Amino acid sequence: MKKSIWIRLTALCAVLSLLASGAMAADSLPWDCYNYDYWDNILYTPAPYVPDGSVSGASLQWQGAPLGSLNNPQDLCVSDSGDIYIADTNNDRVIVVANDLKTVRKIITGFTRDGVEETFSRPSGVAVSEKNQVYIADSQNRRIVVLEEDGTFVKTVQDPKSEVLDEGYVFVPLKVSVDYADRVYCVAQNMFQGIMVFAAEGDFTGFFGTISVKISMWEKFWRRFSTKESRAKQQLFIPTEFTGIDVDDEGFVYASNKDTDGLQAVRRLNPSGQDVIKKGPHENLGGDRVFGQVGNYSGPSQIVDVVYRGHGIYSLLDSRRGRIFTYDHEGNLLYIFGGIGTQEGTFRTPTAIEQLGSRLLVLDSNQAAVLIFSQTEYGRLINEAVSLRYDGDESQAVQLWQEVLRLDENNELANSGIGKAYLSAGDNEKAMTYLRRGMNRSYYSTAYKRYRNEVLAGNLSIILTAVIALIALWVIVRKVILPRRQKKGGKTA
Amino acid sequence: MKSLFSKEKWQYLFYTVSHPSDGYYWIRHQERGSVAIALLLVILYGISFSMNRLLASFVVNDIEPRTVNSVAELAGVLIFFIILCVGNWSVTCLMDGEGRMKDIVVAIGYALLPMIVTTLLATFVSQFVAENEEAFYTILMGLGMAYSVIMMLIGIMQVHNYTLGKTLITLFLTLLAVLIIIFLGLLVAHFITQVFGFFKSLYTELIFRF
Repeated sequence: MKKSIWIRLTALCAVLSLLASGAMAADSLPWDCYNYDYWDNILYTPAPYVPDGSVSGASLQWQGAPLGSLNNPQDLCVSDSGDIYIADTNNDRVIVVANDLKTVRKIITGFTRDGVEETFSRPSGVAVSEKNQVYIADSQNRRIVVLEEDGTFVKTVQDPKSEVLDEGYVFVPLKVSVDYADRVYCVAQNMFQGIMVFAAEGDFTGFFGTISVKISMWEKFWRRFSTKESRAKQQLFIPTEFTGIDVDDEGFVYASNKDTDGLQAVRRLNPSGQDVIKKGPHENLGGDRVFGQVGNYSGPSQIVDVVYRGHGIYSLLDSRRGRIFTYDHEGNLLYIFGGIGTQEGTFRTPTAIEQLGSRLLVLDSNQAAVLIFSQTEYGRLINEAVSLRYDGDESQAVQLWQEVLRLDENNELANSGIGKAYLSAGDNEKAMTYLRRGMNRSYYSTAYKRYRNEVLAGNLSIILTAVIALIALWVIVRKVILPRRQKKGGKTA
Repeated sequence: MKSLFSKEKWQYLFYTVSHPSDGYYWIRHQERGSVAIALLLVILYGISFSMNRLLASFVVNDIEPRTVNSVAELAGVLIFFIILCVGNWSVTCLMDGEGRMKDIVVAIGYALLPMIVTTLLATFVSQFVAENEEAFYTILMGLGMAYSVIMMLIGIMQVHNYTLGKTLITLFLTLLAVLIIIFLGLLVAHFITQVFGFFKSLYTELIFRF
């Protein structure tokens, strides 16, 4: 009897602690979490992240009173110091929220330049540099405004001048990002030539990461047969647009883009603008690998933003089905969660994603709120194991992978990780079993080759003896038994 | 029955494989072939086909085991074999072919033997193959298939007493005939389901009324 009271008490404590943290229990999630196996079957997984409340205008406190609702916010940025900058686009302001996600630290509605007050018009992008300078894409004023953390004016970036730009080009910056050298990367409206790059002084230096147009043989064939008039009426072959940018610690630019084929929706651009991302075993970085062709929620994922989360891990935000796809530096799909809907923890129009500590923040422009997702045990194990592998500490990751397997025995990455550890420890047979489950051909082959050599070397004497015995048997049959039989046969015949 | 599976017939199968031109000639003119053995070979081929898909090592095998249905595949191989024989027979009948239906069955059936042997052998070899050594597997499979195709060609040629050019033309026409047969088969199946559906809805209507 006494024992059961204890159990009840601990259960009560557990429930209370859950309520206190506000995180949703994994069995009441509004969406399914899944991943694709080697053959693109959908395998349901435990939840890597769970909804953990949201931040809206009503929940934020500004000078002791609720802030009032946001209006069509378009971008979100977390600074190194942990402040959250929200571009409250249709209210023409930028809101700075403290990292308790409850109080507003500051509202930036304008700045003073040469003694003149200036305001924003539809600021749709915001970024914070390492020096804590704030970069605001002031879209309808056609400029990027740079402010110090305290709000004093630094400079503006506007009127890009270059031979490669059309005469009368109107610069409408939508999304903005800054690297360690204060170079500004900007996604501009109707700019299909790539990301616009500005030097620290504000001069336009060129385009970056231009996506080449793909024309199939079939389309070329038809264009050959069409007249000039019909060609003019045909769809133009325009490169896809970039949708979001993030810069990693090494200064490489992660840029998400629309992809109508669903094959590659993110690029990792090196300083000269070449795509150096690893595409993984399926050559696919486009979000969902399997999707319907007709009806609601059909078509390839539409990636609207990317966040680099450290240790080679990055997440993509899909606005079509409201999913968040997380990849590692080798292009392996780690986990998928999220969904469109009207329940708590679902999106209507997800527009931007950021990371705050171990939590993920997703800005929903339609709900005018920031949704918070906190990491579960499953998500933490995968993140840590992948980080250890990225840092080259694969042997330490084994324990984590084993715990991942306890929660999700289908996890191919975990099987592969354990297999690789056995391989380096010299246990080839176990390595083969795990690498086979992880569908890792190349490492399996290495393990198998070593195992084969081991078996051959260990049984060399037996094998050689068998070969000699076989040869001897053959010789005896040929030289002794067959001639005798023939003699016998000859006699009887 | 005994004569169908007699020792001579079996020995003649191997003679045909090693001397296709000569072998097929006497199959047509001296009844040396066996339809029963040919059908057995087709069934064996169906089995070895599924075995290869299921059991080949995962280093060379990209097929998901859960999608392999060996019974359906065996039925598919048999049906395709029958359609192929019927198609070839219908074409060669109109093109002065001398072969009878049973000669065609034997010609195509016997030609499968190299493919059966190499498929099984390659499946076995694949167990001992690592990455970059897949060539052993693919070469084995390719050799078997090439030999079978050549045997089939020679078989059709000898059985109908054709020249090579005419054989190729009839094979192309056979392919068309096969497509037509499949199309007609699907059409008939569709109509039958329509008729069946009509009577079924009639039945449910009556059931609900009375």
